[in-house]
Amino acid sequence: MLLDSLLEHRLVVLTGKGGVGKSVVGASLALAARERGKRVLLVEVAAPLEASRRLGGPRSRGRAVEALPGLFTLNLDPQDAMDEYVRHVVKLDLVARRILANPVYHRFFAAAPGLKELMVLGKIMVLEEARQRLSREPLYDLIVVDAPATGHGLAYLKVPLAASRAIPVGPVGHNARRILQLFRDPERTALVIVAAPEEMAVVEAVELHRAAEAEVEIEPQAVVLNGCHERRFSDADEAEVLRLARSDAAGDVEPGVPLQAALRAARRQIRRRKLTRFYRDRLARALDTPLVSLPFLFRETIGLDELRTLASALEAA
Amino acid sequence: MAPRRSPAIALEAALEERRVLVACGSGGVGKTTTAAALALRAALAGRRVLVCTIDPSRRLATSLGKGQLSGRPRTIDIKALEPARGGALFAMVLDVKGTFDALVLRHTPEGPERDRILKNRFYVHVSAALAGSHEYMAMEKLLELSNDERFDLVVLDTPPTRHALDFLEAPDRLLGFLDVSVLRFFLRPYFKAGRLTMQVATRTGAMLVKLADRFLGLQFLQELSEFFLAFEGMYDGFRARAAEVQALLRAPSTGFVLVAGPQPAALEEALYFHRRLVEKKLGFVAFVVNRVHLDPARERGRRGPHVRLASGLAARLAQTLREQQVLARVERQAIARLEVDTRDKPLLVPELEQDVHDLRGLLAFAALVFPRGREEARAAGVSR
Repeated sequence: MLLDSLLEHRLVVLTGKGGVGKSVVGASLALAARERGKRVLLVEVAAPLEASRRLGGPRSRGRAVEALPGLFTLNLDPQDAMDEYVRHVVKLDLVARRILANPVYHRFFAAAPGLKELMVLGKIMVLEEARQRLSREPLYDLIVVDAPATGHGLAYLKVPLAASRAIPVGPVGHNARRILQLFRDPERTALVIVAAPEEMAVVEAVELHRAAEAEVEIEPQAVVLNGCHERRFSDADEAEVLRLARSDAAGDVEPGVPLQAALRAARRQIRRRKLTRFYRDRLARALDTPLVSLPFLFRETIGLDELRTLASALEAA
Repeated sequence: MAPRRSPAIALEAALEERRVLVACGSGGVGKTTTAAALALRAALAGRRVLVCTIDPSRRLATSLGKGQLSGRPRTIDIKALEPARGGALFAMVLDVKGTFDALVLRHTPEGPERDRILKNRFYVHVSAALAGSHEYMAMEKLLELSNDERFDLVVLDTPPTRHALDFLEAPDRLLGFLDVSVLRFFLRPYFKAGRLTMQVATRTGAMLVKLADRFLGLQFLQELSEFFLAFEGMYDGFRARAAEVQALLRAPSTGFVLVAGPQPAALEEALYFHRRLVEKKLGFVAFVVNRVHLDPARERGRRGPHVRLASGLAARLAQTLREQQVLARVERQAIARLEVDTRDKPLLVPELEQDVHDLRGLLAFAALVFPRGREEARAAGVSR
């Protein structure tokens, strides 16, 4: 259901507070779309641990690489995007090289307000517009964007708005408006907020939702609640766990599984599943947006198998 | 090599003696809570402490049980917690634009030049968004607050940058950007001539101007050059101020607390940041690792008669334990690597049963940071 509606778009943009597992959600969403036969591109921005590595693919090195058949990933470096743009505008290779080697250019790029964000968003727009050479069909059916966690909420999406206001005429304003049009177009773009069942993450998700509508005029299409703990014990079993934990019962549940340790673990599980329900209810009450839960995975690392598990959870949602 | 001294003692001493503590770390690791808890602990010990957050979301206000905080220090009522004599707690959030304005006011005399800056379109719309301006203004504010006699200790909660290192380099980057001597040669023509007719000194310079015009546009460059020219007179003042900031950060009375989550990726980042602190000769105090999952089987269970459970329940209990042991093991290994690499033992704060959202919660949290304070935590009613 959720997947159906997300796949109707050209662009799915994920946003959320740092530490909620946005990149894992992005990779599983891309994987789920690929399982549906879509040609998918997953765009990350200067990700320290590339999705491609999780998927068992090669390093991106600034280019789109095919991590799995039909699933491409691109770890975008803002500086590369800027250099590419310079080469595109200048055309003459020698001149372009001279500019790219100029220290003024680098200083300017390092600190110019919003330029990095504009370059990244501009590159995403170019990717959205990319067509196959012969058929003129879109190069990618779906582009999933794992927007960087900035700590300033929607900082990334606010840049084109600020740029189009500050510099209304000229190429900057023009491109900023085109970018804004793409991201605001509900037919083409879906904004998805990723949260976790924790106080601060939920507060921030609600705030992001409000700011997206009020300040950037984009209505989020879904909220993904990542790292959920679902009910494992029936009411009767939960009561039994709590009763045993209070008693001085001892011994092993199974060979090598001490009862008291297992009860401690079970009490934590019960606490987390209650918190999950509490925060899920709170999000559902606060936001009128489809809400999807992904399970917390107790694994050493998140690789292809784990992403598949999450992808099927998205498919089932 | 063995750790120099107990990290809890190092942190405790820092709370008693230092004038500035900077809490750093990536987003989502409990940095704000840690900063607020350390500030509260120092205040209860009798110091006058200000905690300042850069975070525009309301985390600090939430954890202090306050609805709203502003750009000016506000007293937090801690009487109920019976602070030692003289102890007081203040809190504020950083107002980036307001701090930038104050900086301009300080460095330019009243008159048309000052008005030109404050009204420059570029300045109005973009100054708060200048790359690193949050970080730069945090440093600027820190300098001001560290000289404020109302406070014995300032605890700064830094912006949640993806690479925590950004904020140490922000002053340099902003200065690099405002360095008019570099940018003048390619921006002045716009200001002087208003159109693209001026000759520029070098060939590449001329190409840069053409390029900039092609993709940034004339209006953008005009606004920008006006912005730079307006800042020309302020640049020296800015640079002097940045040097003072650097001196403050390196002062022995300033300390850095690295806050991290227990996941391997989060600890990798903390390790990287530690390396940068050492390189830059900044005063590292301690690591605080939040929300650590302890192995449920860490304590020897009581011996007793075997309890028979329904087999379904027994299997689910066993699975639940195994899962959490995986989690605890992954974290324990990552923490052990951090200890080896930094030769420092991090302070581990176990996952709390409840989120911290009031002063008592903060107090309990602070007590968990210091192992000998665990009893205080139990007394405050927060169990692990």
